[in-house]
Amino acid sequence: MDTSSPAAFVNGALLRRYIGQKVRAVIQVIRSDVGSVIGKSTDDQQIVVKGSPQPPLTTYLEVIGIAETDNTIRAEVWTNFGDSFDVQNYNELCKLANGEFRHLFI
Amino acid sequence: MAVSLTEGVVMKMLNGEVTSETDMMPVLQVTELKLIQSKLHQNQESSNRYKFLLSDGTDLAAGMLNTSLNSLVNQGTIQLGSVIRLTHYICNLIQTRRIVVIMQLEVIVEKCNIIGNPKEPGHSSINPQRGGVNTQSNGGSEQQQARRSDVNGGRYGVSANSPQPQVVHNSSDAGRYCVSANSPQPQVVHSSSDAGRYGVSANSPQRQVVHNSPDAGRYGQPQVSQRYGTGSGYPETSPSTRPYVSSNAGYGGSRQDQPRAPTATTAYSRPVQSAYQPQQPPMYVNRGPVARNEAPPRINPIAALNPYQGRWTIKVRVTSKADLRRFNNPRGEGKLFSFDLLDADGGEIRVTCFNDAVDQFFDKIVVGNVYLISRGNLKPAQKNFNHLPNDYEIHLDSASTIQPCEDDGTIPRYHFHFRNIGDIENMENNSTTDVIGIVSSISPTVAIMRKNLTEVQKRSLQLKDMSGRSVEVTMWGNFCNAEGQKLQNLCDSGVFPVLALKAGRIGEFNGKQVSTIGASQFFIEPDFPEARELRQWYEREGRNAHFTSISREFSGVGRQEVRKVIAQIKDEKLGTSEKPDWITVCATISFMKVENFCYTACPIMNGDRPCSKKVTNNGDGTWRCEKCDKCVDECDYRYILQIQLQDHTDLTWATAFQEAGEEIMGMSAKDLYYVKYENQDEEKFEDIIRSVAFTKYIFKLKIKEETYSDEQRVKATVVKAEKLNYSSNTRFMLEAIDKLKIGDANSLPIKAESSNYRSDAFNSGVGTSGTRDTASVDARREFGLPAANQVGQYGNQYSSDARSLGGFTSCNVCRSNSHVSANCPTLMSEPQGQYMGGTNAGGGMPRQHVGSY
Repeated sequence: MDTSSPAAFVNGALLRRYIGQKVRAVIQVIRSDVGSVIGKSTDDQQIVVKGSPQPPLTTYLEVIGIAETDNTIRAEVWTNFGDSFDVQNYNELCKLANGEFRHLFI
Repeated sequence: MAVSLTEGVVMKMLNGEVTSETDMMPVLQVTELKLIQSKLHQNQESSNRYKFLLSDGTDLAAGMLNTSLNSLVNQGTIQLGSVIRLTHYICNLIQTRRIVVIMQLEVIVEKCNIIGNPKEPGHSSINPQRGGVNTQSNGGSEQQQARRSDVNGGRYGVSANSPQPQVVHNSSDAGRYCVSANSPQPQVVHSSSDAGRYGVSANSPQRQVVHNSPDAGRYGQPQVSQRYGTGSGYPETSPSTRPYVSSNAGYGGSRQDQPRAPTATTAYSRPVQSAYQPQQPPMYVNRGPVARNEAPPRINPIAALNPYQGRWTIKVRVTSKADLRRFNNPRGEGKLFSFDLLDADGGEIRVTCFNDAVDQFFDKIVVGNVYLISRGNLKPAQKNFNHLPNDYEIHLDSASTIQPCEDDGTIPRYHFHFRNIGDIENMENNSTTDVIGIVSSISPTVAIMRKNLTEVQKRSLQLKDMSGRSVEVTMWGNFCNAEGQKLQNLCDSGVFPVLALKAGRIGEFNGKQVSTIGASQFFIEPDFPEARELRQWYEREGRNAHFTSISREFSGVGRQEVRKVIAQIKDEKLGTSEKPDWITVCATISFMKVENFCYTACPIMNGDRPCSKKVTNNGDGTWRCEKCDKCVDECDYRYILQIQLQDHTDLTWATAFQEAGEEIMGMSAKDLYYVKYENQDEEKFEDIIRSVAFTKYIFKLKIKEETYSDEQRVKATVVKAEKLNYSSNTRFMLEAIDKLKIGDANSLPIKAESSNYRSDAFNSGVGTSGTRDTASVDARREFGLPAANQVGQYGNQYSSDARSLGGFTSCNVCRSNSHVSANCPTLMSEPQGQYMGGTNAGGGMPRQHVGSY
């Protein structure tokens, strides 16, 4: 496993902690523009993901990329996560991965 | 005090002239009072009935008191000699006797000597003279009126309608009451006395409007026509015949107005006449009978329904409707369904339909709609099935009618009889109650195995109210999912929702608790005054108040879902006690014996399920069952899957029979048998097996030690297998992590439930044990602290504190004061040793301190 460049699990609120760093987030696609996708993070915040994913997009997307601002990610990897996804669980995961059990995550 | 009974009315009641309060409201004396105990329910006070003999001074009629009025007798308001006015009653023919069933009455005199010398019915005859004198009290009776008009002639026109019977009695001077009747003063008296006695006052304009109603028509019309038809001479002599007729819509009592109008109090009477004159005469003179048929039925209140009453109609809203059920008894099969009704007066009653009536009415009934229902049989309520506060229930048959009608805002949608939780503590088991409270916590749904191996869902929540008490409410079956999930979501989002439970059954299962029954209804965050009041109270003080639970202990290890890991089967020596252990594991099928995955089974039905014993091939294409001692042409194939289950701790063998086998394989044993042996499609068979192997399932296992040829073996049987739902399993694990975080050794779901209300009950104990952060119940809930175990640990750490609290029986195993040793959580679940080392160190620490390990 490549651990050289870990991507932190983030939701909308956690994004600002990682500005300039690599993050991964699951978003619910709201609309997709040229060169960016507007989505909703698992904690219900609006996030702009820059980049051009391969259509078609499913309702949920995982994006891995660099956090640019507290609501923008420049995405490198886009993965369709399907149309049903347990947002709440993912959000809890984000909290765990950034909370007291942070050391367990890469 | 002078009392006058309504003379002659008993005879009218007995010969059917007077049948209800619409005819008249007689004043009678109670001359005999007997308690009749119903044989059906001797233990219930409400089944007692009081039987009366009622006297009008000359004759006696038998009467029954509606049980709702029993208290009047019990309090002594009605006693021997009491003079009562029947304001709501029905004379019913029962066998050959007429019985007066009294629904409502006014007590005029509590104590009185027996008036006159009344005789048993059937002995006396009408004395025309007496009737004539007294008729004004009987204003509605045309016979008497007619007779009297013969007797009294012209004078009658005035006197008959005198407001005060006493006046008529005491004076034979027609002139005198002519005068009095003409004066406005008695006029008022007249109206009021009539109103009281008959419920109608023909004199007042308002009442005239009442007479326009079909009811008035029904009773009034024949009188009018007959009276004038007999030609008492009055109409001809009267200068105002037409207005007279019109004013006389129903009762003779109004007659005096008209002749008087032109003579004396013109100003008084005129407007009254003109108000109704235009439309009245044709209504009654020409269209009497027709009007009667068109008349919408009179609506009876539910509270007045009784078995002694043949014809009734109720206007009701359906508040709940039960599912169609089938039954089997010695007399054969049948089906039934029931629904509950509520009327505008708040009366409630259940309707039960059997067989044909089910077909006729089942689809018609929609919960929430308003119907007119008439002609059903009233039967004593089956109190073990029927929780409604009514001694009767209605059984419908093919002659009954149910007619949908427009929504009627006066009929409430729901009718609650809320009891506060403190009261429930003293209520009898199996009684039903409505309760409203704040949901302080709710447990996850667990599946409970019934004795017959079917499963039922269960979920419990803690409800608290202003009585400072809390109670466990157990939801069964479908309530767990719809309402339960909604409550769960609300609780998860930090809201403590108001919950009104209609028709919960009180049980005594480890303390008092309330559980749902089929007819129960949940109202989450309802919008009615009780709910608002509760919410305000909760925001003001309830949130931080201390509650004592009336549900003392959690319902034991029972058959709730207990999530374990496979290693625990051996470690905890599961299955070796008297009863089997039921556990749930999340495991992968690591191996499956593909030979003999099924057996040939007997398909002969034995009751409602097949015999399923092994059948042997006779070699001639038939199969023989030893048990049934019969041969069949075709046998069943039933799974007997031997599988190996593995999780991160260990592996174990388990057997899955028919149903569980189907759940695992996703197809029937027969189909799989055909693939392998009939079609010999080995490749497809292997595909199927491969698709199942190395798949994760949630297995419900029954663990029991059995003896095979002197060898003890612990056997695991799969009773249910469910493909792992990752989302819900993640949720489950998140919960477990949450519990782990706050230092709980027993990170199992069952503990959460058990601890929830211990936390209520022993709040103070925890608080004083030096845990500042968890002083209040709600704060603890937010942390998801499983209080019981915590308490246990505090017990160890701060044992002196804990003991000093006193008041609770303390556990001699873990020294917690939260429970007795029999229920000690340290014994009920897996040995703490397994997690002990790490977690105990942080035992009971609030979250922020936990990060250190």
